[in-house]
Amino acid sequence: MKILIIEDEARIAKRLARMTKAYFEQQLTLNVCDTLAKGLTYIEQSPIDILLLDLNLNGENGFEIMEAMVAKPFHTIIVSAYTDKAITAFAYGVLDFVPKPFDESRLFQAFGRLNNQSNLPDNPLKYLAVKKGGIIKMIEAIKVNYIKGAGIYSELHLQNGTQELHDKSLDALELLLPATDFIRIHRSYIVHLQQAEKLLIEAGGRYSVQLRNGEQLPVGRSRYKEIRNKMI
Amino acid sequence: MQKWWIILLLVTLTSCQRDIRYEASDAVISRPDTTLTARVEIILLEKKINTPLGLQVHSFGAFVVYWDGVRIGQNGIPSAPGQPEVPGTETSYYQIPDKLSKPGKHDVLIKGTQKHLIESERNVTAKPESYLKMLRQPLIELSLVNLMAGAFLIAAIYYTFLYYNSKHKQQTTLLFAVICFLFFALLAMEYLKYYIDIPYTQYYTRLIIVGWLTFAIAVLIPLYFTIHFNFPHKLLFIGALTLSLLLIYTTEYEHYDLTARLYSLTLWIASVFILLYAIIKKQRGSILVLAGFSASMVINQYMFYDFGLYIAFTLILLCILYLQTQGAKQLEEAHQTSLLLSSRLQLELIKKNIQPHFLRNTLTSLIDWVEESPAQGVLFIQELSHEFDVMNEIAEDVLIPINKEIALCRHHLSVMQFRKEITYVWENTGIQEEELIPPAIIHTLLENGITHSIPLEDGSIKFLLSFSRTNQYKQYIFEVFAENRITSKHCGGNGFRYIEARLKESYGNQWNFSSESFTKGWKSIIRINL
Repeated sequence: MKILIIEDEARIAKRLARMTKAYFEQQLTLNVCDTLAKGLTYIEQSPIDILLLDLNLNGENGFEIMEAMVAKPFHTIIVSAYTDKAITAFAYGVLDFVPKPFDESRLFQAFGRLNNQSNLPDNPLKYLAVKKGGIIKMIEAIKVNYIKGAGIYSELHLQNGTQELHDKSLDALELLLPATDFIRIHRSYIVHLQQAEKLLIEAGGRYSVQLRNGEQLPVGRSRYKEIRNKMI
Repeated sequence: MQKWWIILLLVTLTSCQRDIRYEASDAVISRPDTTLTARVEIILLEKKINTPLGLQVHSFGAFVVYWDGVRIGQNGIPSAPGQPEVPGTETSYYQIPDKLSKPGKHDVLIKGTQKHLIESERNVTAKPESYLKMLRQPLIELSLVNLMAGAFLIAAIYYTFLYYNSKHKQQTTLLFAVICFLFFALLAMEYLKYYIDIPYTQYYTRLIIVGWLTFAIAVLIPLYFTIHFNFPHKLLFIGALTLSLLLIYTTEYEHYDLTARLYSLTLWIASVFILLYAIIKKQRGSILVLAGFSASMVINQYMFYDFGLYIAFTLILLCILYLQTQGAKQLEEAHQTSLLLSSRLQLELIKKNIQPHFLRNTLTSLIDWVEESPAQGVLFIQELSHEFDVMNEIAEDVLIPINKEIALCRHHLSVMQFRKEITYVWENTGIQEEELIPPAIIHTLLENGITHSIPLEDGSIKFLLSFSRTNQYKQYIFEVFAENRITSKHCGGNGFRYIEARLKESYGNQWNFSSESFTKGWKSIIRINL
């Protein structure tokens, strides 16, 4: 696990580092940067899995940076004193928002989300941040028909017929998308439940989901039961 | 309401039916060797009254008046051998015996001496009139005039007191008081003739005084408007106005009534000129005052001269009074705004230490210290509580002793040192204990310094506060010795706005604040003029 902490308060950075080490134990590469500039340089050079980000660094508003970070392949966990920004942060697709002051269990809970989709935050994701031509574009999650995994990227298939490429993997997106609205139907597909019209059983025991626009997507054999329950 | 009564009364006065119809010839005057003889022939056409007839004589000199050869009175004492002339007044009144006041032709003979002012060749007139009316007329006129004069005397006194007892001394207030007083003096001078028997030798003295009073008013009223409406090139304008008035004075020398009339006209034109400027600039009250000036012109044109002018002046002064009260309203609003600013600043100061960003970050560090090394954690809590204590003490003050400000800064540094684990060094030089300073302005600079600075190689940031004083100003220099963050936005921001608002609250415009980088870090200078 490769983790980067961007935090300008030395004491808090130490605390985060200590707790992170305690959670991930041996399999951890940890780095701490005390300014945004250093942090961004680090991200450009070394791939990471999780970013722990403070929203106010040396008097600068880190909100714009957060928008850029959620479009990246890694997960972002916000650790901030600005608790009023939590709802917006979730809407933009952060893995968790840890309000200051925090204790070990709260930070562990945030890390726990990496493996557990059911542990949903109260405020669901509303936007998917896509980086396109150097600018960050916010796509409303409800406008998505389905998402197709494409290696380390994902393809967002939108209701207007267009497609966007997201830097996060399908696995990563699955953790962020609200389970009530989105369902993983296949190793390579997440579908927007509202857009799923019917469940088809084809010859040879193959299942598929037909969307409102007529498109058919394959359903994983092991996932059939869960999908049937959710769609009925 | 009062204004309407005056106008109504004036209308009734001017429209009174004449009780007496007569024709009077021009006086035949001879003034050989300081003797005076004048003869006027009067044909009394109709007399509608039963009360006695009177005669009003306008003439210089000291004389005896004969009506149809009968002596009806005397004005002054004519000179006789061994006895000097006792001068009479310019206007004198006589009662005519009933038996001599029948309609028909009558002969008025004025016989006496005129030792002085012969060169002025003053005309002699004699007018018959109801004797009762002649006595009453001044009373009626004076009742109105005294009403106006009294009001303006009170206004003059009131605004003088107001000027001396107000914190925000406004030039216009004093100017208005002076104008009111001059106007009172003008009215008093003009109608002095009814109270005092002015010897004809002094007849022109009164007119000269009236003339100069009008002159002064004609300069001051436009001056008032130039100040009130902030007219550019005040001096030039008032200079030109004074010159034109002086020109009138010299060209129309000794034409007293005409001069006064021309002065008023000049006043009117100059004021209207400024008012038009004010209207273009959309200044408050300018339209109303212009309306007042238009009305004054109408009144002046259509009413009996003496009165018309004074009613017109009164109207103008009422307009200025309106502007004056409007100015007071603006002051009140400004005061309200400053109160509001003060309470807003107070709130901002209190917010400084309870804002979530400060509190939550501090508490996070504090938890960590308590968990990791409780003894240090206790010290941290103490420093935090000291900072709160000082904040609490100064929260409601507009100015605090500089030592308190320094204590606040030191406690804040201790707290931040626990949080940031950077060695903060505080130094101050030249501090004078009795000096006062608005609360938390150095503290704000300190916060900025902590936020926007990267520690030096030895892991420290040094802050230096120095104080100096000259005859003209006192000055605080606050230096941060560190590396400036490249992206930092030192300028502007809430912190600087807070500092500037605090300085303005306590020192008006008598301060200067600058904050910029220098070779060793960041330098802020607060200069307060003495």
